[in-house]
Amino acid sequence: MSRETYQVPSMGTQNTFDAQGGGYASAMAIDSPSVVYLCGECSARVPLKRGDQIRCKDCGHRVLYKERTKRMVQFQAR
Amino acid sequence: MAPLVPSQEELQRRRIIGINAETVTNIPSTDFPGHWPGESHGWAVDEFQKVEFHRNDQFEASFSLIGLDASVANAFRRILMAEIPTIAIEDVFIHNNTSVIQDEVLAQRLGLIPLKGSVEGINWMQWFKKATEEGGEEDGPCDFNTIVLHLDMECYKNEHAAKDEQDPRKLYTNAHVYAKDLMFTPVGRQEQYFVGDGAIAPVNPDILIAKMRPGQAIQMELHCQKGIGADHAKFSPVATASYRLLPDIKIERPIIGDDAKKFAKCFPKGVIGLEPVTSAEAAQRGSGYEGHSGEQKAVVKDAFSDTVSRECLRHDEFKDKVKLGRVRDHFIFNVESTGQFDSDVLFLEAVKVLKLKCNRWKRGLTDLMA
Repeated sequence: MSRETYQVPSMGTQNTFDAQGGGYASAMAIDSPSVVYLCGECSARVPLKRGDQIRCKDCGHRVLYKERTKRMVQFQAR
Repeated sequence: MAPLVPSQEELQRRRIIGINAETVTNIPSTDFPGHWPGESHGWAVDEFQKVEFHRNDQFEASFSLIGLDASVANAFRRILMAEIPTIAIEDVFIHNNTSVIQDEVLAQRLGLIPLKGSVEGINWMQWFKKATEEGGEEDGPCDFNTIVLHLDMECYKNEHAAKDEQDPRKLYTNAHVYAKDLMFTPVGRQEQYFVGDGAIAPVNPDILIAKMRPGQAIQMELHCQKGIGADHAKFSPVATASYRLLPDIKIERPIIGDDAKKFAKCFPKGVIGLEPVTSAEAAQRGSGYEGHSGEQKAVVKDAFSDTVSRECLRHDEFKDKVKLGRVRDHFIFNVESTGQFDSDVLFLEAVKVLKLKCNRWKRGLTDLMA
């Protein structure tokens, strides 16, 4: 692949996708998967989608944390 | 020429280690061949006088081994601590841990929890062969080398708690995670070995593993394997395994009256007793009791429980009247089990391990000769 034809992943493809979708960006945001965050104030579970305001729905706190990984972590008990 | 046989007094003198105010004398043993000209001193099993139990509870035993060398007694002690195999948590697979205690700290804590289970089953278990740098392959967990425990706890609010409740254990359910929350899942043949009372469980159910608050959870799988204390202290089957030498107190000249009371106070309770001087003793010339009939004199009642603090050597009035020492070949063992095995079984296991080592050594020697 030549330098010119290479497209930067994620952001770039997103843009082309947006260009194809035209004015349906807001509709797509509803379909996009929601990620659960934890409120830094009341530790409520806050599901957020892309484009959502970063804000707790219960207390309005603006600091949200990522949940712990769902992957298994292995340790040696020593 | 028949070997010389030293007198009993001479042998007794050699058995005592002298303990003075500042120094310890006569430390090394001399009862081996070639030290005393003409004497044999070859060690045979019948030199070993006896094993004497002082206490034998399930998890703590105290006993004396009399008539053996420090090297052998020390070998038993070291084998007890480092070479008797036990089961302990070795691998921790953490699926979720949102408690405040970090994963690696939690894993380390879990490893140190002593586990119990059917002794037959534990002896049936084999080593888990780990992958080595030389390219040795790992066994992979099987029913004969891995015991699986699960810990799955989630903390949430207790709806029925009183309004002004302060105790988090009542305010929330599962606020404290204890060792008793470890769940044993038998696999394969483990179902035959670890049944009923023989199931794998923590010896002390109330060990606190972690504390949680509502919304926090711990989910993990724990793999227990067989190991020895030399590898990691969590595999050590004993909490303590130690020995001391039997103390020896000799009152060489009479200690009478108030001095006797003071003398008794220099020792732990019960070590020194007070007895009245009999008229026969008082009548005997040169005994030091002349004219003291009916007064209290100090006698050694129970040297065993002395701590050899040497307090009595600090006072001038007891100068040259008392001689402290220890018996070189009388080892008072104290073995405290962590709970996987009974304490008296542990010593037998230690003997078994030493025997095994000797046999291996012997085999090595024959191979050397061949």
